[in-house]
Amino acid sequence: MNLKWTIAALLAGALVSGCATKKGFEKPGFAFGCPIGEAKVSSMDDLVKLKTVSEGKRTTILATEMRCSNSGDLIKIDANLNNDSSTVKRIAYKFRWIDREGMRAWEEEVWKPLLLYENSNLSVNSIAPTNKAVDFRLILRSQE
Amino acid sequence: MNAILRTRLALLPLLAAAVLIAGCAKPTTRYGDARATETVTNTFGSTDLQLIAESMTRSMLQTSVIVSSGLPIVTVQDVRNKTSEYIDTRSITDTIRVELQKSGKVRFAVDANAMNQQAEEIKRQQGELYAKEQAAQKGRMVGAQYRMEGTITSIVKEVKNIKDVYYKFNLQLWNIQNGLLEWTDEKEIRKTTTKG
Repeated sequence: MNLKWTIAALLAGALVSGCATKKGFEKPGFAFGCPIGEAKVSSMDDLVKLKTVSEGKRTTILATEMRCSNSGDLIKIDANLNNDSSTVKRIAYKFRWIDREGMRAWEEEVWKPLLLYENSNLSVNSIAPTNKAVDFRLILRSQE
Repeated sequence: MNAILRTRLALLPLLAAAVLIAGCAKPTTRYGDARATETVTNTFGSTDLQLIAESMTRSMLQTSVIVSSGLPIVTVQDVRNKTSEYIDTRSITDTIRVELQKSGKVRFAVDANAMNQQAEEIKRQQGELYAKEQAAQKGRMVGAQYRMEGTITSIVKEVKNIKDVYYKFNLQLWNIQNGLLEWTDEKEIRKTTTKG
């Protein structure tokens, strides 16, 4: 009888601790592995909005997913771009690296041209050039 | 007839003025974005150089040789140009070296091209004009643990209205002691120019 209660209590405990933190938000100040600081981020959409910036000619290409991890002491980023239109789109993208003080941690990257076929997804990834970079922005612009 | 001639004659000063203006139009020079995508022609350009250097550097920063060993010492060797056009490959390796050095993850030993200058400077400091205790000594230089070399190749296809250029840049990091290939990566670039 006692064993039965112990197992039930353990299962309940595991269930509660499992539901306590949403997946992707286990580490405070991070969402899906990406640094968010004090920003209110409660979903993948929030994270993508926080990290994506449009500069120059606006593009209809949207970042739909973003995940971060670490390679040694450098941030590694994987972002998914989506072209939901029925035409081929040409864009350029770059990452901007930000240090602990909110300043640029590295010089501006080169704009990287990218071709996205109609109704397709493409994953772009990068790694911080220096361990001074603790945050980033993904910058997109149209090349049409 | 006279009316037509008169009209034509009246137009002559206008034409002359137009020619004069076009001839004297000053060319305008403006500073541009050095990091913008450059598509003036489809030969090897600044964007290609920057894309290659960035891609290779970021890839190399993830290799275990750089992640786990403390500040490995690398020497830069030549990148062979196997394309049909002139490319200053030294400029590519220089940019890669700048990025790696700035990352603080790699140190560079003097390469073969700069060896004469290095040896000359040591020899000069060994002369009687220099204080012996501060002068660089012979036999104190540090050898590289790794050497970086590569190749760039291209495939060019051209028909009447289309010219397609494909570049492949390959870079390798070799362990000098044991001859093992520690890291290698490639960057591919395709550019197509359509006329008309």
